[in-house]
Amino acid sequence: MLTKATTGRAKRPAKPITLVGVDVYIITEDGIPMFDDYGAFKIEFVSNRGTKVWPGYVSDDLMMVNWYRCRFMATRTVTDADVDTFMTALSKKWKWSAAQKLWNYGDEAGFSKAY
Amino acid sequence: MGKHVITMLPGEGTGPEICEAVRRIIDHSGVDITWEYEDIGLDCLDKYGTLLPEKTIKSIAKNKIAIKGPTTTPIGTGHKSANVTLRKMFDLYANVRPAKLIPVLKRPWDKIDILTFRENTEDSYAAIEHMVSDEVAQCLKVITWPGSVRIAEFAFKWAKANGRKKIQCVHKANIMKMTDGLFLEAFREVAKKYPEIEAGDIIVDNCSMQLVRNPAQFDCLVLPNLYGDILSDLCAGLVGGLGFAPGANIGDNCSIFEAVHGSAPKYAGMKKVNPSAVLLSGVMMLRWIGEGAAAEKIEKGMNKVLAEGKTLTYDAGGTASTDQYADAIIRAMDTV
Repeated sequence: MLTKATTGRAKRPAKPITLVGVDVYIITEDGIPMFDDYGAFKIEFVSNRGTKVWPGYVSDDLMMVNWYRCRFMATRTVTDADVDTFMTALSKKWKWSAAQKLWNYGDEAGFSKAY
Repeated sequence: MGKHVITMLPGEGTGPEICEAVRRIIDHSGVDITWEYEDIGLDCLDKYGTLLPEKTIKSIAKNKIAIKGPTTTPIGTGHKSANVTLRKMFDLYANVRPAKLIPVLKRPWDKIDILTFRENTEDSYAAIEHMVSDEVAQCLKVITWPGSVRIAEFAFKWAKANGRKKIQCVHKANIMKMTDGLFLEAFREVAKKYPEIEAGDIIVDNCSMQLVRNPAQFDCLVLPNLYGDILSDLCAGLVGGLGFAPGANIGDNCSIFEAVHGSAPKYAGMKKVNPSAVLLSGVMMLRWIGEGAAAEKIEKGMNKVLAEGKTLTYDAGGTASTDQYADAIIRAMDTV
C-alpha cells in the first residue's frame, strides 16, 4: 500500500547549465523592432505570438499585436553580469515586459524555436 | 489551366493513396480543377532537409487553396510540425470541424450535428517554451484580443450563413481569468452584433462531460486552440472516429483543407484505409470555393454508398479497398 513514508520529492538528474542567450519581450507600436549591436548578444529572430516575423519576409497579417519576443544569442561566453549590462543598454531604447535567460542543459537547448 | 488551381499535398504513409482516390472523385464531380502536386511531411526530410519544402510553400502562397493528406509529427524532439507551421505561416486562424452522424455507423445517439471553431494560431501553441530551471518547464499561453475577436467573428459569420442557431464559447475563465477571460470577453463583445444567434458559454470540463452525455444539445462551439484540439477529436469520436472527420484551416488570404487523422504508416501501400475524412475535407473545400453543386453531388454519392453498406472500408465494417470504395462513390454520383 502507498503510504506517506514511501513517497517523496522526485529529483531530476542534474546537467551542466550554460547561459547562451536572452529572450526579451518588447512592446512597440512601430512594427518589427530592429536592434543595434549589443556586443555580447546578437539578435537571432523576432516573433509575434510565437511566429517568426524577422528575418525573412512575412505577411502583415502576422503582426497581430504590439508584443514581440526578441531572441538574443550570446556571441561569446557570457555571465549574468553581461545580461545585466545588456538589459540596461536595451532599456534605454525599448519598453519591455519580461526577459527570460536561455540556458543549455548539457548539450540540449532549454528553449523552443519560433515557428 | 482549370477554373481553379489547387495545391494537392498527398502527405506520407497512406496519404498518397487516399488523396489519389479523393482526386478521382472530385474530378468526377465535373469541377474544373488543375491540381498542383507538392511534397510535405517526413518523406521530404531526405530530399529537402525539411518537412515543408520552399517549393510547397510557394505553391500554396500562389494558389491560396490547398488540400492535404495526413502527415506525421515527431513527438518530443526533432522537427516542428508541418501542420502547425502551415497554420502559422499562412495565418490560418480558423479551424472548422463538423461532427455529424454518419448513417452506416451505429451510434447510441439519434442526432449529432456539432461545428467546432478552434482558434488555430495562439494559446499554448505559440511555441514559447523554456526550461526555467533544470526541474521546471514553462509554456506561455498566449491569448490576444485581435486573435480572439476574429475567431469569434468568423464563427458567427459562418453560423449565420449556414443557418445555425446557437454558439457557445468554451473556456476555463474561472481559473485562467486573464487568458481565457480575455477570450470570453472578446466572444461576448462580438456576440452583441449577432442578436439572431443564441450566444452562451460553458466551462471546458463541463462541456466535455455534457458532450459525452448529451451531444444533441450542442450546435456550434468556439474554443481557444488547445481545448479546440482536444474537444474536436472528442466530437469526431462521438460520430464514429477520425475516419469520417474533415477539417478546414481558413485564413483571410489562404485556406488548407485536411483530414485530422494520422498517416497510418503501417497500412501504407495496402490501399485499405478509408478516404472519407479527406474526401469530406474536399467537400468543404468545394463549398468554400463556390462549387456547392459538386460538393452536394459527392456528399450524396458517399452517403448512398454508406447507406447501402455493400462497399465499405474495414473501419466501417466492410472489406472494400480504398479504390473500390472510391469507385462505388463515383458510380453512385451518377445516380443521385
